[in-house]
Amino acid sequence: MVGDISPVLLVFLYGLITALATGLGALPFAFVRSVSPRMTAYSNAVASGLMLGASFGLVAEGTRFGPWQTIIGAVVGVLFVLLVQMFLRERELEFGVVHGAGARRMILVLVVMTVHSFAEGVAVGVAFGGGMTLAVAIVVAIAVHNIPEGLAISAVLRPRGTSVAACAGWSIVSSLPQPLMAVPAFLLVGAFAGVLPYGIGFAAGAMVFMVFVELLPEAFEEGRRPRVALLVSATLMGMVLFQQYL
Amino acid sequence: MDPTLTVLLYASLAAAAGALGALPLLVRGRLPVVGIGWANALAAGLMLGAAYALLVVGVDRVTLSGAAGALLGIGFVYWTHWVSGTAELDLNRLEETSETYGYKVLLIGAYHSAAEGIAIGVAMAVDVPFGIFMALAIAVHNIPEGTVLCSILASRGVRHRDAAGLAVATNVSQVLLAVVTFAIVAATPSLFPWVLGFAAGALVYLVMAELLPECYRQAGPTSIALVTIVAMGIVVLLSSQGM
Repeated sequence: MVGDISPVLLVFLYGLITALATGLGALPFAFVRSVSPRMTAYSNAVASGLMLGASFGLVAEGTRFGPWQTIIGAVVGVLFVLLVQMFLRERELEFGVVHGAGARRMILVLVVMTVHSFAEGVAVGVAFGGGMTLAVAIVVAIAVHNIPEGLAISAVLRPRGTSVAACAGWSIVSSLPQPLMAVPAFLLVGAFAGVLPYGIGFAAGAMVFMVFVELLPEAFEEGRRPRVALLVSATLMGMVLFQQYL
Repeated sequence: MDPTLTVLLYASLAAAAGALGALPLLVRGRLPVVGIGWANALAAGLMLGAAYALLVVGVDRVTLSGAAGALLGIGFVYWTHWVSGTAELDLNRLEETSETYGYKVLLIGAYHSAAEGIAIGVAMAVDVPFGIFMALAIAVHNIPEGTVLCSILASRGVRHRDAAGLAVATNVSQVLLAVVTFAIVAATPSLFPWVLGFAAGALVYLVMAELLPECYRQAGPTSIALVTIVAMGIVVLLSSQGM
């Protein structure tokens, strides 16, 4: 049956499935009801640990292709976050019922996670370029990896009053660049393979910088320090293990 | 040089760096708060980078014992903070320094230098250049730590020379544990993944519980985030070149 579908459509569908998996990350937050600064702080801590752990994995992969390319990508990622921050600071922001700095953080997280999905989409396409024999295994692996990303996004949106359904929706939207980028990367593997370390570096640099400049400062301000530290370090370790074993 | 002597030498140099912390006070006569923030952010980035190297570069995969070790490392530092009542100690409120506050600063210094000593020892067991790098990262952290300590002691009438000596003294457990960890790992290689995980967990927890929260108050999020990520990038480059 699979043979009847053109490989391009198949790659797009696979990318779409992995994007949908991101929405599953919102599910654990169905049980989070209280909307409070403390809850926000601890959710920030969880999101920070997940993103730092994910970046450890990304950087390890990127440096295998080319360390300098990864670093250059990361520098651009940092500059990108600084620019988006500057752009958002000058505006009256609103996200759902949230205004001001809270809304800025929510929008920034969504922008960074969406842009970082472009790099992941390239990775998906390049992976399929090696042949479709391992396709299902690759799809499952990437889909599983996307769940913590949905978790990180929901951790930032949910305690500020976004509904679980909207958290799942935004998580999926943030991953839509994956199927879109997977197709051209699949068709032009040669060209895109060279871009990959830059893209991976960009994704890691943007995520790590956002953690340090927005998420952690707020977490330390509103939450109790040992609990924030415990959550960040435990989720970071968990994420590193998760990536190495699944 | 005998490997154990190498560990002793570099761990001692890192501990002695604490005395350099008195210099800014001698030169400027007051606490350079923003500078301390940047120095600690630099140390935070180097330590997180070291944790990255331990978890991702040093091993193909973190083993189950490595993960258990990491939990122990996180738990150990958490426990020492909790038991010593230093968990939420604000190291910047230097104006209202009571006597117990001074003791707590000494205590916190002594406790976490134990975890840092283990990190130096295990990094030396990975390979010597990585161990020297780890000693450097810890030394970078010891300097601003020494500055804060000296400033508190100076405000209580302790001479700078004696304060510098005390700053080094709180790091002595670092030297001891670096050498002991190195010797234990050399004698029982099966313990290696445990100790490696322990060091990585303790480093990440220390950065999150002590270094970063202080930094943000001292110098503001943007400059701290920049210094931290640049330091991490340097470690990533070094570790990809095989250190």
